[in-house]
Amino acid sequence: MIVRIPRKHRGKRDPLLIFGAAFLLFLVLFAIFAPVIRDAQLKPPGAESFSSVYDPVVDDAGKALKPFQPPFGKAILGTDEIGRDILARLAEGARISLMVGFIVQIMALLVGITVGVLGVYAPRWIASPLLRLTDAMFAFPDILLAILIVSVVRTDTFEGFLGPIGKMLPVIVALSFTAWPSIARLVRSQVASLKDREFVVAAKANGASTFYLATRHVLPQLMGIIMAVSMIEVAGTILAESTLSFLGIGIQAPDPSWGSMINAARLNMSSHPITLLWPCLILSLTIFSLNFVGDGLRAALDPKNSRA
Amino acid sequence: MRRKIAVDSLAVRLGKTILLRLLFGALSLLFISLVTFVADELAPGDAATVIAGEKASQERVILLRKQMGLDRPWPVRYAEYVGNMAQGDFGRSYFGTTEPVSSILKRTLPMTAKIAFMAIALAAAIGIFLGTIAAVYQNRFADRGVLTVSTLGVTVPNFVLAPLLVYIFAIQLDKLPQTWDVVLVAPEIYYLILPVCILAARPMALLTRLTRASMIDTMQQEFIRTATAKGVPRLQLILKHALRNAILPVITAIGTSFGFLLTGSFVIERYFAIPGLGSTTIEAIQQGNMPLVQAGVFVTGALFITLNLLVDFLLPVLDPRIRESQV
Repeated sequence: MIVRIPRKHRGKRDPLLIFGAAFLLFLVLFAIFAPVIRDAQLKPPGAESFSSVYDPVVDDAGKALKPFQPPFGKAILGTDEIGRDILARLAEGARISLMVGFIVQIMALLVGITVGVLGVYAPRWIASPLLRLTDAMFAFPDILLAILIVSVVRTDTFEGFLGPIGKMLPVIVALSFTAWPSIARLVRSQVASLKDREFVVAAKANGASTFYLATRHVLPQLMGIIMAVSMIEVAGTILAESTLSFLGIGIQAPDPSWGSMINAARLNMSSHPITLLWPCLILSLTIFSLNFVGDGLRAALDPKNSRA
Repeated sequence: MRRKIAVDSLAVRLGKTILLRLLFGALSLLFISLVTFVADELAPGDAATVIAGEKASQERVILLRKQMGLDRPWPVRYAEYVGNMAQGDFGRSYFGTTEPVSSILKRTLPMTAKIAFMAIALAAAIGIFLGTIAAVYQNRFADRGVLTVSTLGVTVPNFVLAPLLVYIFAIQLDKLPQTWDVVLVAPEIYYLILPVCILAARPMALLTRLTRASMIDTMQQEFIRTATAKGVPRLQLILKHALRNAILPVITAIGTSFGFLLTGSFVIERYFAIPGLGSTTIEAIQQGNMPLVQAGVFVTGALFITLNLLVDFLLPVLDPRIRESQV
């Protein structure tokens, strides 16, 4: 999936766009190398391999340090209320957030594109109920439906299921349910407007099947806009996951999600505001970068902007 | 004569539109009630297992289920569920004093509604004002400032904004209370300032951006050029000619952004320990108190649908073109 950006935009250098893209690259690396960061920060010298984001940082003698270590000491960003290393927990949280965002978006795209295309090409008795359902989903404000779903799908249902994904599964299921309708609506309107364009009609006249038309002629046209919108949707998903975790109904303690880290740190805000700063900063920058890169991509792909 | 007929049929058409909208609103409510019902069906355990307690024998649970009518087929129970809700009966809370959910709603809903409506009013007023300023001074300093702040407002989550503002205004300056107190020591409005402002931030930023875009679009229209040419005073041009036209998509967006605000109130109520519907619902989720969860979700959805209905009715009042064209 390569998004072609018109030449006249390639030369334009928007510093915020560059910053956003750079930050996202950093975030992905941060998440990939989370175990390395954890070991570098936490492994006591001489120890075999044991280190964990669930246990307090220990000094050279193997004794647990006091909680709320200031930054730039033994732990680069300091330690939290139980003495756990904040940098290692942020990296683990990045893994969770990116994984949830990515998986939910894949699910949303699968369902949303299918529903959107069926809404245009399928016979009425299939298309019409699907579109009614899509519209009905908008009766739920924002993440209210996700809140309802996580109240039903409890974490213990998936204990040990699929390894590390099991603990994220309730959140992934809940957010997948809420994420697909906007994609479906976008795809439907785009497909409907492309359906009668000359190149599609020409292919049809040459005897192409509806399936071939949809997958080979119409959908490839939408890849750019879908990519751009997906970026912004992933930002919304990551925000939603943090919100659920902040409320205590998303990723459960002691697993580190940025949302639950903020919730824990705010209780000691007046005495240790710095502990609260880090998760707030990384979450805000992530949402900001995804929005900005998505917006930039969308603007670059919009033919209306080509004169700018 | 002809004119009179036209007016009559317009009224009839308007009446039909209103009825259709109301019907659509009712269907949306029905959909939400169905989803909350299905959620309860899928949740592990039911009212009988909770009331019988963990140690109860299998026979007792089955007996209780029979007594409570839980062994009937689901369509019957769903019809009863909707019928009860229509009469304001949401069942009883599973735990604690097992008080009726409706009385919990009566206690907590006014607070949430008050905060939500104050926040949306604040967001709309400031959003439209700032958006207009930005559009009028397009690409100048004021515009850049407004755009930057509104971009931040859209992207900064409210549970990040909350500690920031609390740190500044409650901890450092010590002007406002940090959280709700069990017994309020200051007038209620002092407790509401921070929550309402934080809640309003995101919709405010969205409405600002939308007003700006819509105003810039309108200001380029021909009729504005005509009005400028015939010498309409600038303020009147902006307020009466441009803003009245540009504001329509913004009004629609007030309805949709109310959605963020409602779920945001779950976060903010929990953050400030405000005894409202949001914090009550979250607590109920953590306890597995399904009747209360269902009621919380249903009422929040109902608030959202009601405000969007109001917006739908407001649009034709504000715009004669919509009034004329509605079939």
